[in-house]
Amino acid sequence: MSKPNDLVQGTLDLLLLKILGLEPLHGWAISLRLRSISGDVLQVSEGSLYPALHKLEQEGWITAEWKQTENNRRAKFYSITRLGKRQLEAEAANWRRLSAAISQVIQISEA
Amino acid sequence: MEHWWYTLPLRLKSILRGRRVEQELDEELQFHLEHKIEEGVASGLSPKQARYAAMRAMDGLEQQKEQIRDTRRIHWLTDFVDDVRYAIRSLRHTAGLTAFVAITLALGIGMTAGTFSMVDALIFRPYPVSQPDDVVTLVSTTQDSSFDQLSYREYLDIRDKTNSYQGVIANAAMEAVGFSAEPGATPRIKGGMMVSGNYFRVLGVEPRIGRGFREDEDQVPGRDAVVVLGPNFWKHEFASDPAVLGRTVRLNGKEFTVIGVAPETFPGMLIFGHPDFYMPLAMARVFSTNTQKNFFEDRDDRELAVRGRLKPGTTLQQAQNEIAVLAQNFEHEYPKLNRGRGAAVHTQFEMRTRGDDVNWKFGVIFVTLGLAVLLVACTNVAGLLLSRARSRKREIAVRLAIGAGRFRLVRLLLTESLILASLGGLLGVAVGYGVVAWFQSQQNVVFMTDLPLAIPFRMDTRVLIASLALSLLSALACGLVPALQSSRTDLVNGLKSADVDLPGRKRLWGRNVLVVAQVSTSLMLLTAAFLMVRGFQHSMLDGTGFAKDHLLMTGFDPRLMQYNPAQTKQFYKLLAERIREAPGVRSETLTQNVPLGTDDFDLDSVAFVPNGFQMPRDRESYTSPMNTVDEGYFETMGISILRGRGFRDSDSSEAPRVAVVNEQFAKHYWPGDDAVGKHIRLENSAGTPVEIVGVAQTIKFHNTFEKPMDLVYMPLAQHPVARMVLLLRSDGDPLQLVQSVKDVVRTLDANMPMLHTMTYEDYYLNKAVKGPGIAVNLVATMGAVGMVLAIAGLYGVVAYNVSRRTREIGIRMALGATSSDVLRLVMGKGLLLVAIGAAVGIVMGFGVEQLMNSMLFNAGGVDIAAYIIVVPSMFLVTMLAAYIPARRASQIEPTQALRYE
Repeated sequence: MSKPNDLVQGTLDLLLLKILGLEPLHGWAISLRLRSISGDVLQVSEGSLYPALHKLEQEGWITAEWKQTENNRRAKFYSITRLGKRQLEAEAANWRRLSAAISQVIQISEA
Repeated sequence: MEHWWYTLPLRLKSILRGRRVEQELDEELQFHLEHKIEEGVASGLSPKQARYAAMRAMDGLEQQKEQIRDTRRIHWLTDFVDDVRYAIRSLRHTAGLTAFVAITLALGIGMTAGTFSMVDALIFRPYPVSQPDDVVTLVSTTQDSSFDQLSYREYLDIRDKTNSYQGVIANAAMEAVGFSAEPGATPRIKGGMMVSGNYFRVLGVEPRIGRGFREDEDQVPGRDAVVVLGPNFWKHEFASDPAVLGRTVRLNGKEFTVIGVAPETFPGMLIFGHPDFYMPLAMARVFSTNTQKNFFEDRDDRELAVRGRLKPGTTLQQAQNEIAVLAQNFEHEYPKLNRGRGAAVHTQFEMRTRGDDVNWKFGVIFVTLGLAVLLVACTNVAGLLLSRARSRKREIAVRLAIGAGRFRLVRLLLTESLILASLGGLLGVAVGYGVVAWFQSQQNVVFMTDLPLAIPFRMDTRVLIASLALSLLSALACGLVPALQSSRTDLVNGLKSADVDLPGRKRLWGRNVLVVAQVSTSLMLLTAAFLMVRGFQHSMLDGTGFAKDHLLMTGFDPRLMQYNPAQTKQFYKLLAERIREAPGVRSETLTQNVPLGTDDFDLDSVAFVPNGFQMPRDRESYTSPMNTVDEGYFETMGISILRGRGFRDSDSSEAPRVAVVNEQFAKHYWPGDDAVGKHIRLENSAGTPVEIVGVAQTIKFHNTFEKPMDLVYMPLAQHPVARMVLLLRSDGDPLQLVQSVKDVVRTLDANMPMLHTMTYEDYYLNKAVKGPGIAVNLVATMGAVGMVLAIAGLYGVVAYNVSRRTREIGIRMALGATSSDVLRLVMGKGLLLVAIGAAVGIVMGFGVEQLMNSMLFNAGGVDIAAYIIVVPSMFLVTMLAAYIPARRASQIEPTQALRYE
């Protein structure tokens, strides 16, 4: 079992749902997008990307479709489902709560 | 729900198109890999380096795939399919054992399924109407009986004054009706049932053709002579001709118009009877059996079964409370007729499992014994699987060593027993069909009647589901223990040696328990079989108290010819007089019921108060079964009069009322005193006085295994009954008198039907010997099957022990043990197990005896003889089963034994 490097457990799901919420993408594009938007801070091991994607698919949060890419190759494109959007909202809210709580704790210890 | 919308297609795809899914996964990962390599090359690596880096970044392709496969969640299925394949392969290797196990289980499952079909029909099968659960039964209750029927007047009050029901319906018992399609034809006996006008509507039964009754057809007594035919009767009597609507048929001589035919789906509300046709209650005068009471007026003429369909949202408790209040009102309004009388509402289940009904109890006992056979079968199979698992110890150890989880292993072994049980279940259903077919074949023995009665046992969905459940249960029962045990295999030893017994005492524990369970259960089965046989035998040996040979019986019901009471009286008077003159007739008598010829429908009873008795406050009268007979009865039936006299010609309708009681009755009410000369008053303490003029010997009246019960005889002249049986005592073959009877009847009324003409001996044989014989045969078969299985099981266990200890035995003998030492060594264990099993079995036998006594035979105590015979023979047989392999062990050549393995 490989762990997501430097990534809080479970946040990978959140990130993937968020990215796919913007537009349907294939696996490689997702990995590029992850790197670019997090500015290389969040290192997602490519080894954990696909198992995570397949897990989300099996949960019914994202759905996959084979389509042509811009350079005419067949690739599996993932897009978010209604169920996935709901899940995204829930996890995002959860994350905000968590991070707010943690930053509060940190401020206390500084004071 | 939405979740499944997305995921179900995925799961199905994974299951059904597994290869395609794998290909796509390959392609997807390959796609990523190629991009990654391109990226590497672009950043200046050599293609080879780039490829290496890409692979490393992805933590290995194969690991990825395996991880992804895990997300598909169909492991349980693919694993199961693999297990099934493997199990079938390994079971095929041991085809003989597999067949034996399957047959063993089939016997157990089949016995249980077959007997369950009985319980299903008697207890669980719902009414064949729409929403059968809403239909409840209303009964009248007294201190003595909790399931009395209701009278017509009471029915009307309940129908009109309750609010709990969508509708309240009533029906009389199915009774013999003389039916003729053409005028002038001799009537034939068919089963007709009077029902209320709303019967079909409330039950939600739509007629096949025509219509059901209208409510107004049940309002004016005698006005609407209409009839609805039953589906089977329509098929057989009218060849399913739709033109039957509007036709005129004769029922008991009166013309009725056919207005409809009930659908195939509605064979009627009874368990055994399927009425040939239905008539409105308002036509009761044509059919009423009771000549003493007025059906339409007398509130105590309780002949109706009343049912209601609960309104939606009304609970049983609400209905219960409502009817209780109504019953109290009845008690206030009619204190004379309804004193101490309540009412209750019962579900179908409660009605069918009522305490005074013996059929379902037989069913429950049979199922219990069937389950016992299944238990023996399961323990047997478990023993076999244990042995099998042991010889597979090495295989299992290897599996564990290369990383199989214990749970996974248990699952594999359970799959094997599941397959065995499924095989057994399939065969078992076949056995079940056999049992049911056998029940069906006994139909003519059970019902010696002209009425449309049928044995309702069949293998329907519920029975099949039950069989399936049993198969699964037995798979668990016989597979779990061996599976758990073998998965506990000690790796090191398991791999090291082939099949040497290590200090494995603990492991034998399970097997010993199996043997004990087997011996005890089959002992219990045998005890039950034996008790059943002896119970009936006993009742035969006890004698019935009357003569059975040289008797001809034939029944008459002048109501079928629309005779009024005066005509009926005249008919019987002339019949008796003229048949007396016929050659070969030694004596003749008329009786309402022949002994053992009562069924629940025409058992007459009398309510009375013994003169001078202070009745308890809450009770107005006692009741006793009653039979109406003429002067010749006691002589013709060979029933001795112990004190006083029998009936005489002088006991006419004008003379003071008299009765003869049986000895049981006399002892019951006047212990230590002479009953002759005492009086009883009918109905209540102010009723007609009846003098007891004689005490007759107590005979078996209802069935052969009844305990002695009260019986009152009334003279026919003083208590006229329409339906009577003529009994003739002959010099020679009774059947030679049939022609004489026909001749005499023809001089009286050419169309008068003769019912059930046969010798009394034949009747008796069917009723009292062959009928109960069905039960005896069934239980004896189960006992025998249980015993054979137990013997096979015991033999197997001892033989297995011997073969496992062959080496040890060889060493012992090499060191100087004699063959008798060896015999003792091997046998000793078997003996101990059988002894423990027998002890447990005796206790279980006592339990079953209690059950059977309380449910069937009304007898207490313990039948010691049964145990004296059963226990030692069980012991002997099982010892033999242990002896054979033990003897083989004692004859082993030491050299050969040491080389063994």
